[in-house]
Amino acid sequence: MPLDSSSYSLAQFSTQAAADGSSYLEMGQTKIICTVNGPQESKRGGGSRDQSNAARIETDISIAGFSGVDRKRHGRGDKRTQEMQHTVSSAFSSTLFTHLFPHSTIAIAIHVLSQDGSLLAACLNAATLALVDAGVPMSDYVVACTTGSTASYASNDEEADPLLDLNGLEEQELPFLTVGTSGGEDKVNVLIMETRVQMGRLEAMISVGLDGCKQIRGILDDIVREHGKKALNSRVN
Amino acid sequence: MTSLKRSYASTSPSTTLSSKTYLRTLKSGKVQKIVREVYLRQDIPCSSQLCTACLDLAPVGFHKKADPPVLSATPAATEQLPQGHYIVPDTNAFLSAMDLFESEGVLQDAIVLQTVLEEVKNRSLPLYHRLIALTKNEGKRFYVFFNDFRLETYVRRDAGETINDRNDRAVRKACGWYAQHLEKAVRARKSARCPVVIMLSDDRENVRKGKEDGLPAMNLRDYVAGLPDANRLMDMVATSREGRAARDAKAQMIYPEYVSMSAMLTGVKAGTLHQGVFNVSPYNYLEGSVQVPAFDRSLIVQGRDNSNRAVSGDLVVIEVLPKDQWKAPSSKAIDEEDVNKNETAENEEDEREAIVTEQERRALQEEVRKTHGKGAEGRAQPTAKVVGIIKRNWRQYVGHIDRDSVRSRNKESRAQQTVFLIPMDKRVPKIRVRTRQAAELVGKRVLVSIDSWDRDSRYPVGHFIRSLGELETKGAETEALLLEWDVQYRPFPRTVLDCLPAEGHEWKVPASTDDPGWKGRRDLRDLLVCSIDPPGCVDIDDALHAKQLPNGNFEVGVHIADVSHFVKPNNAMDKEASLRGTTVYLVDKRIDMLPMLLGTDLCSLKPYVERYAFSAIWELDQNADIVRKDFTKSVIRSREAFSYEQAQLRIDDKSQKDELTVGMRCLMMLSKKLRAKRMAAGALNLASPEVRVETESETSDPIDVKTKMALDTNQLVEEFMLLANISVAGKIYEAFPQTALLRRHPAPPKNNFEELSNQLKVKKGMELRTDSSKALADSLDTCVDPSEPFFNTLVRIVATRCMMSAEYFTSGTQSVPEFRHYGLASEIYTHFTSPIRRYADLEAHRQLAAAIEYETLDASLQSKAKLEGVCKNINVRHRNAQMAGRTSVEYYVGQALKGRILEEDGFVMRIFSNGFVVFVPRFGIEGLIRLRDMDGGEGEREPESVFDAENYALQIEWEQGQRKVELFQKVKVRISDEAEESTGKRKIRLQLV
Repeated sequence: MPLDSSSYSLAQFSTQAAADGSSYLEMGQTKIICTVNGPQESKRGGGSRDQSNAARIETDISIAGFSGVDRKRHGRGDKRTQEMQHTVSSAFSSTLFTHLFPHSTIAIAIHVLSQDGSLLAACLNAATLALVDAGVPMSDYVVACTTGSTASYASNDEEADPLLDLNGLEEQELPFLTVGTSGGEDKVNVLIMETRVQMGRLEAMISVGLDGCKQIRGILDDIVREHGKKALNSRVN
Repeated sequence: MTSLKRSYASTSPSTTLSSKTYLRTLKSGKVQKIVREVYLRQDIPCSSQLCTACLDLAPVGFHKKADPPVLSATPAATEQLPQGHYIVPDTNAFLSAMDLFESEGVLQDAIVLQTVLEEVKNRSLPLYHRLIALTKNEGKRFYVFFNDFRLETYVRRDAGETINDRNDRAVRKACGWYAQHLEKAVRARKSARCPVVIMLSDDRENVRKGKEDGLPAMNLRDYVAGLPDANRLMDMVATSREGRAARDAKAQMIYPEYVSMSAMLTGVKAGTLHQGVFNVSPYNYLEGSVQVPAFDRSLIVQGRDNSNRAVSGDLVVIEVLPKDQWKAPSSKAIDEEDVNKNETAENEEDEREAIVTEQERRALQEEVRKTHGKGAEGRAQPTAKVVGIIKRNWRQYVGHIDRDSVRSRNKESRAQQTVFLIPMDKRVPKIRVRTRQAAELVGKRVLVSIDSWDRDSRYPVGHFIRSLGELETKGAETEALLLEWDVQYRPFPRTVLDCLPAEGHEWKVPASTDDPGWKGRRDLRDLLVCSIDPPGCVDIDDALHAKQLPNGNFEVGVHIADVSHFVKPNNAMDKEASLRGTTVYLVDKRIDMLPMLLGTDLCSLKPYVERYAFSAIWELDQNADIVRKDFTKSVIRSREAFSYEQAQLRIDDKSQKDELTVGMRCLMMLSKKLRAKRMAAGALNLASPEVRVETESETSDPIDVKTKMALDTNQLVEEFMLLANISVAGKIYEAFPQTALLRRHPAPPKNNFEELSNQLKVKKGMELRTDSSKALADSLDTCVDPSEPFFNTLVRIVATRCMMSAEYFTSGTQSVPEFRHYGLASEIYTHFTSPIRRYADLEAHRQLAAAIEYETLDASLQSKAKLEGVCKNINVRHRNAQMAGRTSVEYYVGQALKGRILEEDGFVMRIFSNGFVVFVPRFGIEGLIRLRDMDGGEGEREPESVFDAENYALQIEWEQGQRKVELFQKVKVRISDEAEESTGKRKIRLQLV
């Protein structure tokens, strides 16, 4: 199933000079700014030093009030936001080489400017770009996408193909899941589904999702390489 | 730092992205800005077999199969278009002539544009579903082209352009693209024949603009005229909008306009208007009633202007009339055929029509002359008028052409004329149909559908679909009644038959008990099981056994055919069965729910062979109380298949002492105790006029009519079936509190019985108590006239008609007290015992199988929404099947009486001021005797009569002197049949002797 690459036409690097790494990503009408600071020494109040022997990944997601169709304030302690923060942190913990940075923290800050579906997937993809920009060593890209299923008894099309990369409207109507992989091979880092779906349809959805992840990896990789080429050129000249 | 702003360059026309932004205001006053993006693609195929380019770019789905091209490489050619053509119908073409598109063998190779599909969906959902079915029909080759997602055919709505104009433009653009695309494809193949892409529209403006753009556009009628067999096809096109528009100018609006939808909705919300289903009285076509929650009696809608184009069954919004216009229901029986006999169908062209004809007004007037007593004030009911229609419930109607409305009877004449079609259903008004084959259709059963009912037309306008055959012939009449009651009677399709076991009739229960078929099954082959059914029954659903246990209790088993073993959920056979819902029994024919092989052989619990069964086994004590119950899948071998009479004889025959007979006597003894208990709990013993038509075995011509007899063995079987149903209902509800499929019978509203109890009080001094089913059952028992044994049955028949009908439902949709089955006085009930002929039972089997952990429950039975859909369908099917069966008996009774003149006893069931209804129990027929027919002559003169509404009596003075006709009176009637001259239709005629 081909991914509509036009929706990824806007992914940018190093958008904010102040941060170690930053990115701006649009997936359809979902628009995200991500900044990465670190690895840096943990700034813990109270004096007790961070004794861990690997870097901690801290994620902070803030969703702008104007990002959705209805204006709505998203508090800091919002349960959904907290869950997403945790998901992003744990997704990267196995892919980043955190053992190289003991006693330190990698802070990922994500700002959602506009949301129209695939929010978690977009956060993961934007974070990957920002981490690359920050030069944090990692084994592979973490890329994610959503798949949904339109198959239903009522309309009598059990065989319907799963949908890839849903928008907000589709997410409201259909059962969907977010799958995130370490792009190169089918190593699943994230698999989240909050709706209910018939067991039989799950396999098709996941395999379409894995395929989608591979395509997204290709797109992100192109962007990274292009950026790298430009950076090299500007050094040389 | 790079700018985050999106450069405008990226939204240049070359992009495959198109976005639409608009603002909308919410109810709360907030403003929302909505942004929608459309990703335009270039890989949507044209799906013509001529085109090789599209074949490569068609996307492959997850299941790795690309759809093959739909449109034929060599589409049909016509005289005008010798090189072949694809058609691109516009929305209005589908709306006005769906029947035409559905007819087999013509109008193939059509491109259904997404724009059109969506417009059809917005305008009419039923038509949309039919169109979707068409696109799935492989023979028709209808292809849905998603033109709004393809880059080349996407059309942006211009500022100031209406949505309709935009859609029309989109259709034209798609046509243009197709034409170019095909030309390229044909050139690549180097073949000469390039099919034309022709746009069909009923909209003159669209056709004109199309021609301007150089597209071959055509009016639907012009196109059809160029096809072979144009005359037949032309009738299927509804009168086009063009024609209607032309008429609008001169026609006078004779009906009031409907109130706008939003005004109706606010009115209903505010309580000033009411919403309900419009029902026309079967005795008086000018009187309808609407039941609304705000009033405990139904509202009466009288007269053509008040009913304002509503057809029986429509969902209407009504306004209550001021109190001084409230009336008692009309005490007259009025038949449309008699009142408006002489109208011509074409008169709208010559003269203006009055909405209410003079004859109709006279017929409706409650002439004071004959009404006695306090008059109507005491019994006045609220009246109302229809102000709008929420949903039309038009279907296809079967009827015959009114001979008088046909102008030219010359069979050769092909002139188009407008004729009246008189529907079989008396509650539906005449339908005006334009046809070129009027002469041929006279005297035939004809199927038509209603297209519209405009304000300027007294009658609805419809179009001809097909002819079923000569009136009065068995084939045509049977098909007519099947169509009228929407019974699916076509043979089972290939896909369904493929679901049957490959062994066919050779299928046997596997001999080895290690076979997977035996898994979870109990071996009950050594039980002495037998079945008791009506004589000649081939689909045996149920079998029974009983034996005394050492502890003095009884073991009783009810074994039901294990249909769910053969019909797996969601395969083609299951889907077909769920659509059919039930087997329909006609006098000479049975329309099966499941293919014959299953129904009459593999599932049927035939004697002497092993069969899979689903068994319910109880231990009952001496008082028939349940000690223990158990459900299991099993294998049984029935020892004998009895008819009711045979079983009765065997039980009564004292000399028979074998184990099987002893078991049957146990069953008999227990069934009587069960019945007594049920009656004590308040179960109703109801009656309906049931007759059986005896037919000659070869020709199935009716010979005689007999009333059905009830033997003790009938009740024996009935009791145990009820026991099984109730036990199973409890079990599946316990296992699936949200989704159990149950059956309920709501308690009737009190005022349903008002009329009957008043009649009984006035005429017989009897009291009918209706506070509970127990009270009703008891008081019905006291309604006995010692001199007339049939009187009690008559009261029960009338009482039955006052009841609500029982219905299937899923347990999650009702609160627990609503589960009650009023007639059976049971707290919970379901149907379990006839899975061969009812789909509900099959679903109950699956749920029970899951409840006893024999198998897992299929997903379709876990979905409440799906089950609700199933319930809704089988409720309708169940009622239709009953009505179809009844109509069939009526037809055969009529045939059996053909040419005979008999005198029989009848009972007066209802009194009007100009006639009365007599019920003849011997034949189960009910007929109206009108006063003006009593004179013997055909004259319009009515004999002098005095109608006493208070006492339900009619005093008549006729040739033979004075005569008083009262309700419930026993009268002698002469039964004959006569053919009506105008229609050639045969009717049973009753005359007072």
